[in-house]
Amino acid sequence: MRSVALFGALAALLALPDVLAVKSHDFKTCSQSGFCRRGRALAARAQEAQSSWESPYWVEPSSISVSPENSTIKASVKSSLYPEIKFGLELRIHDDGVVRVLLDEVDGVRKRYDEAASWALVSEPKLSKSIRWAVGKKELRAAFGKKNDIEIIVNYEPLHVRLRRGGEDQIVLNGRGLLHMEHFRSQTSKETVEEVASDENGEGQEVLQTENVRAWFEGDSEDAYWEEKFSTWTDSKPKGPESLSLDISFPNHGTVYGIPQHATNLSLPSTTGDSPSYSDPFRLYNTDVFEYLASSPMSLYGSIPVMHAHSAENTVGVFNAVGSETWIDISYPTKKSTHTHWISESGIMDVFLLPGPTPEEIFAQYARLTGTTALPAHWSLGYHQCRWNYVSSDDVRTVQKRFDEEDMPVDVFWLDIEYAQDHKYFIWDHKTFPDPIEMTNDVAAAGRKMVVIVDPHLKRTSDYPVYQEASDLDILVKPKSGEGEYEGWCWSGSSSWIDHFDPASWDWWISKFTTTKIDTGFSWTESTEDVHIWNDMNEPSIFNGPEITMPKDSIHYGGWEHRDVHNINGMLFHNNTAQAVRVRSDIPKRPFVLTRSFYAGSQRVGAMWTGDNLGTWDHMAVGIKMVLANGIAGMAFAGSDVGGFFGNPEPEMLVRWYQVGIFSPFFRAHAHIDTKRREPFLLEEPYKSIIRDILRLRYSMLPIWYTAFRENSVTGMPIVRPHYVMFPQDTAGFNIDDQFFVGSSGILVKPVTEKEKTEATVYLPEDQVYYDYFTQHAYRGSSKGKHVAVAAELHQVPVFIRGGSILPTRERPRRSSPLMKLDPFTLRVALSKAGTARGELYLDDGITYSHQQGELVWREFVAEQPQKKMTRISSKDLASQNPTKAVDGVALTAYDPKNAFAKEIEEVRVEKIVVLGLSSKPSAVKLESGADLKWEFVPGVAASDKQEGTASVLSIKDPKVLVTADWAIVIS
Amino acid sequence: MLWLLLLLPLQALGAAEKTLGVPPDLISKYVPSKSNTWTCLDGSKEIPWDYVNDDACDCADGSDEPGTGACPNQPFYCKNEGHVGSFLPSSRVKDGLCEPNCCDGSDERPGVCKNVCQEVGQVYRKKVEEENKIRKTGSKIRSTYIAYAHKEKKRLEGVIETSAAEIAIQEKEVVRLRDIAERSESLSAAALELKQQSPLYISLITHSNALKSLQREHKKYLQREKELGNILDALRTGYNPNYQDMAVLEAVRGWEEIAGLPHINDVGKDSVSEEEAGIEEDTASEVAETKEEVDDEMWTAEELDKDLDDLLNTDYVTLLLEHDEYVQSVPEGSVLFDIASYLPDSIAPQYEEFKDTLVSWLVNLGIIKGETPSSTDTSRSRQALTDAENRLNKIKKEKEDAENDLKEIFNIHGYGLEGQWKKLDGTCLRTEVGDYTYEVCLFGEAKQIPNKGGSTFSLGKFASWNPSPDVKPGDDTYYGKQIYNRGTRCWNGPERNVVLLLSCGTENTLNSVVELEKCEYQFTGTTPALCRPLDNSEGKNGQYANAGKDEL
Repeated sequence: MRSVALFGALAALLALPDVLAVKSHDFKTCSQSGFCRRGRALAARAQEAQSSWESPYWVEPSSISVSPENSTIKASVKSSLYPEIKFGLELRIHDDGVVRVLLDEVDGVRKRYDEAASWALVSEPKLSKSIRWAVGKKELRAAFGKKNDIEIIVNYEPLHVRLRRGGEDQIVLNGRGLLHMEHFRSQTSKETVEEVASDENGEGQEVLQTENVRAWFEGDSEDAYWEEKFSTWTDSKPKGPESLSLDISFPNHGTVYGIPQHATNLSLPSTTGDSPSYSDPFRLYNTDVFEYLASSPMSLYGSIPVMHAHSAENTVGVFNAVGSETWIDISYPTKKSTHTHWISESGIMDVFLLPGPTPEEIFAQYARLTGTTALPAHWSLGYHQCRWNYVSSDDVRTVQKRFDEEDMPVDVFWLDIEYAQDHKYFIWDHKTFPDPIEMTNDVAAAGRKMVVIVDPHLKRTSDYPVYQEASDLDILVKPKSGEGEYEGWCWSGSSSWIDHFDPASWDWWISKFTTTKIDTGFSWTESTEDVHIWNDMNEPSIFNGPEITMPKDSIHYGGWEHRDVHNINGMLFHNNTAQAVRVRSDIPKRPFVLTRSFYAGSQRVGAMWTGDNLGTWDHMAVGIKMVLANGIAGMAFAGSDVGGFFGNPEPEMLVRWYQVGIFSPFFRAHAHIDTKRREPFLLEEPYKSIIRDILRLRYSMLPIWYTAFRENSVTGMPIVRPHYVMFPQDTAGFNIDDQFFVGSSGILVKPVTEKEKTEATVYLPEDQVYYDYFTQHAYRGSSKGKHVAVAAELHQVPVFIRGGSILPTRERPRRSSPLMKLDPFTLRVALSKAGTARGELYLDDGITYSHQQGELVWREFVAEQPQKKMTRISSKDLASQNPTKAVDGVALTAYDPKNAFAKEIEEVRVEKIVVLGLSSKPSAVKLESGADLKWEFVPGVAASDKQEGTASVLSIKDPKVLVTADWAIVIS
Repeated sequence: MLWLLLLLPLQALGAAEKTLGVPPDLISKYVPSKSNTWTCLDGSKEIPWDYVNDDACDCADGSDEPGTGACPNQPFYCKNEGHVGSFLPSSRVKDGLCEPNCCDGSDERPGVCKNVCQEVGQVYRKKVEEENKIRKTGSKIRSTYIAYAHKEKKRLEGVIETSAAEIAIQEKEVVRLRDIAERSESLSAAALELKQQSPLYISLITHSNALKSLQREHKKYLQREKELGNILDALRTGYNPNYQDMAVLEAVRGWEEIAGLPHINDVGKDSVSEEEAGIEEDTASEVAETKEEVDDEMWTAEELDKDLDDLLNTDYVTLLLEHDEYVQSVPEGSVLFDIASYLPDSIAPQYEEFKDTLVSWLVNLGIIKGETPSSTDTSRSRQALTDAENRLNKIKKEKEDAENDLKEIFNIHGYGLEGQWKKLDGTCLRTEVGDYTYEVCLFGEAKQIPNKGGSTFSLGKFASWNPSPDVKPGDDTYYGKQIYNRGTRCWNGPERNVVLLLSCGTENTLNSVVELEKCEYQFTGTTPALCRPLDNSEGKNGQYANAGKDEL
């Protein structure tokens, strides 16, 4: 048998196919997962029973208690299936109208995991103080909200919870009666039942009858209650069944978004109902899926259990704070309604209902719960050059030299796992990296940074201090026995994993990144503050584990099983690493730590990327959708690997991928070790020059990106915004996920993701003028929506400026973004149909937290028509007007326009102002303070015209106005 | 008058600002027109003279901003007095960094960078001097290489000449011997044919063929097993769990079981080679054990390996004849056939004639079988012919090789127009990097040799000089790169190959080896063969041009 197996394997090795494909058999389908199977079977029985189906869960009216502040009610819940089991229901209404619904088993045999929300939430939410609960005979209800138009209703028998607005149901929990919290039981009782059944026929009959009484709901068999096998692995399930099934319906919303991470459309396809798009539910279970599919409900590296339900009338959301494996079925019973069914393996029910009613408010509500993206280091918005692997310090230097020779901007060089001796992270392989500090300094000399990988698997050898210290401290994840160290296989061979749920691991891990010697053990003295970190493989990825991850019965701090915390695991590692990078310097600096695995709240920590994508057009296209989906789930600092991780993209594909990349919040090129080198300087002409221009375009737009990040950090509004976020009432835009807007800037992008395209069709959603960013061609949208065809040759990426926008850019090419600090700005004033425009610019030192002390510049540019035939362009200080809204998490009481940062850049001027769409040649262009300005006017169509064509362009040459100062220019 | 005096230096200052970043050959173009305007160098636009170097870009070609960096792609000329002038891309102008090749600091705002041209120039000149010194020494060595090539040419010509003479002689000898052999063979051919009908002989030939086929197949399988072993060894040590493929792990474990190796996880990659050395001994002793169990008459694997070839090289015809002699043995031919030895030399020829007649007569009568005593003579004369032919071929080969070598010596694509590379043919350069020693034998093969035992991989054989179509054959960039390709194939990858980058140095050395892509190695080394003698013009004007070019 052995030899047969070996030859089989050999044959497979020798005939390695060129076709890349996911290894589906490594991952479970719903039918291979016991609790998912049970959940779907429950839904199928309900479907069959139709109207005769009624949830067995009910509220004991006598148990209802209202908290003194009125915001919280508690009640006992029973299931008619198991009258002896007690459940506790709790509803809390937050002061922003979010309703939190909790359900847990009370006094059970064991305790359900209830800490998921505590990891996800940024702080304990503030509860409302103005709620009046009306406790009735059949239901209890409360009305709240600014207009008092939101209602929450809890029906007693059967239990269901409804969130209503304007008298219509928006979100319904258990409306379809699929709620089922499997209570804890002991396996022995089940055996006794069996024994009874076999011993005495009469009583056995009775027992069977009792079971049949529940069978209408639970089914006949105890399917995978106590043990579950998958491939060669056995999950021991010592706690038995504990899954949670919950249906969440949106009776008035026909589109749902969110629950990343999946390689699929932004508007989520159906998984059940009539001719579903996918046969399996969407799965949330952080896994390292090798060569994942470009369209699939399969789980990927990260999970954020948040969903938007959207209609032209309003938007609502749910955040289901669960950390265990979760499957979500979606169906659309009608065009205007959505059913979802969430099946989780363990944990309490802890669902947040976000009342909206606009996408903007959903973002704010979700941001108040889980926080926003930390304002990143400015340099991290530049171009990141990565490869598995730059093989030596000289290799890194050569790559840097080549970028400089080709005058291509780049901010960061990355090192993948091969820098580390035997994959013992932190430990440089001195044979190839003899001088890591000198290398880093050489990179830093041009204002650049290094990002070096530190993965969570620790090689189990005593000569690896990081492992040895963790082992001595007993902070490693334990095997199912609860004793010793869990051992798995990863890059480093036999490895163990730090249990970041153990508070004892936190300070220890943080100390490892100190760049100076410490008394308490190893610290990374062979690194500098210019080294930032990449956390990969933190799902965790374990090559010989079930589904390439950790066995679910492994034990974490507090005795929790890995199954309870799996989806949260990666976030904690990421968080502790970011804390470490933040505090290693005397003056804390903003850390950049990239993660592959993430959970709700990970946005507070840093950036993510969409993992190991393939160099195919499909993956290029789905990468955009995935970044959009992450953005609406809060994880805004996102990007896909440019070029695709696997494969050798042809030059055309690479060019298109760079065009996608520069319009991603996180912009990194990366490649697998088996691929040919593909750094942009290696390409032939014309590709090389096209990519140089693309890179320069990204750098020129960095002020726009950074300004969008500030907004996100305060409001939670995504960096890249899909149509439904910008135009919530435009039904034609609900399914659009291949074009998007950048922040509030007014930039609309439609990257080309198909081979040999020379033209693109762009959807313009409103009756407004849109200008081609490069040609100034004015296109006219329509209030009904309109598609326009635009040229998209290889060197062209369709980029538009929405009429009414003012864009600040920096047009001088530099080697890296820090070198642009004192460069002047260009303003593009794209007049709206009404002849007005507005834009923002946010700047700070981009490195430290001094912005939290008000060391920042936040300006508003406005173009208006104070009188006929006159346009006035002015610059105002936004920070002084809105000090409390300037910075995330800090309410500045006052703002000093002469702060230290503003002084550093006080000489920075606006070198050029371009006004698009003026209706006629000006007679004069002057500073309001009097001085005449030099200008040129090229006639063209006006913003207010109806026809299309090249817009009129007024170029004001060097108005010598400062970017930190108030000024106004009058065009008459 | 006073205001005029005051104005002058201001104007002078203005002029300097206007020509900041302008290279010497364009200075004359940066003057205002009479109407105080200026035309972009590409002629596209006329702008006020004020606009030149005013830190705002006006000309499409960027020529109005030679000194501010306001126009992208407009080079900035850095005078670097005391050193050599050089161009910077506009991206370096006013970026806050002091550029090493703009030592006068003129690319930055005043006060940002010190003028360090004196120091930089000194260092630069010293460096150039050192380089020139190396080149001088190197070029001397190079001239010895060229001399060697000429000597080699003469030697080869000599070889060709003597070979040609020897060939002529040897050819005659072959003709003579062939004549003898053919004559004696024609006599015995018929008899031999008859003998070859012997079932014993036929069976022997069949056995021999079968054995040969078996040996061929056996070798094929040995080779295949070795290759598979290599693949699996490489897989085991280089096992890259990125594939996250349990099938790979399974294959590794299976191989370890078959090959009796410990699991890679238990030994670690560094100690693999030592372990393996031990293992090989173990397996050797295992083989010894199995050998004892083999029947006495059976061959051992070792014997099969060593002695089978000899066995198969047996001349079966000779054997057949010897066999006949052995079987028919002494009595039959003793008197009659040995008579000649008793006869005086003068009668011998007649006797031979008589004997032939007699024998054929006896044969016809069926008294004796058509056996001829000349069969051994035949094989001897045939052997003499074969030997002579082999000698001839050997000389011809020597001549041919010499002719080919001669062709390559002064071939632009071979050892260079001057023959400067001939001396290095077969010179092997080595360097140790990490766990391996890398070796390249110039114009031969490149290899990766593990330091701690294990199999050596071929990284490729010499294929060509720099193959880039942009490179002119024969110049320094052409000879600065050698390609070695078609090395051992990587597991799940391409055939290994090497790009050898060479530069002028006083010694033939291999300095560095990097694997930039999987199985694609870049070697760098030095050789005097690339040290061309210094021109008089070089080191002065040349530097200026190069310094400028390097930056653009």
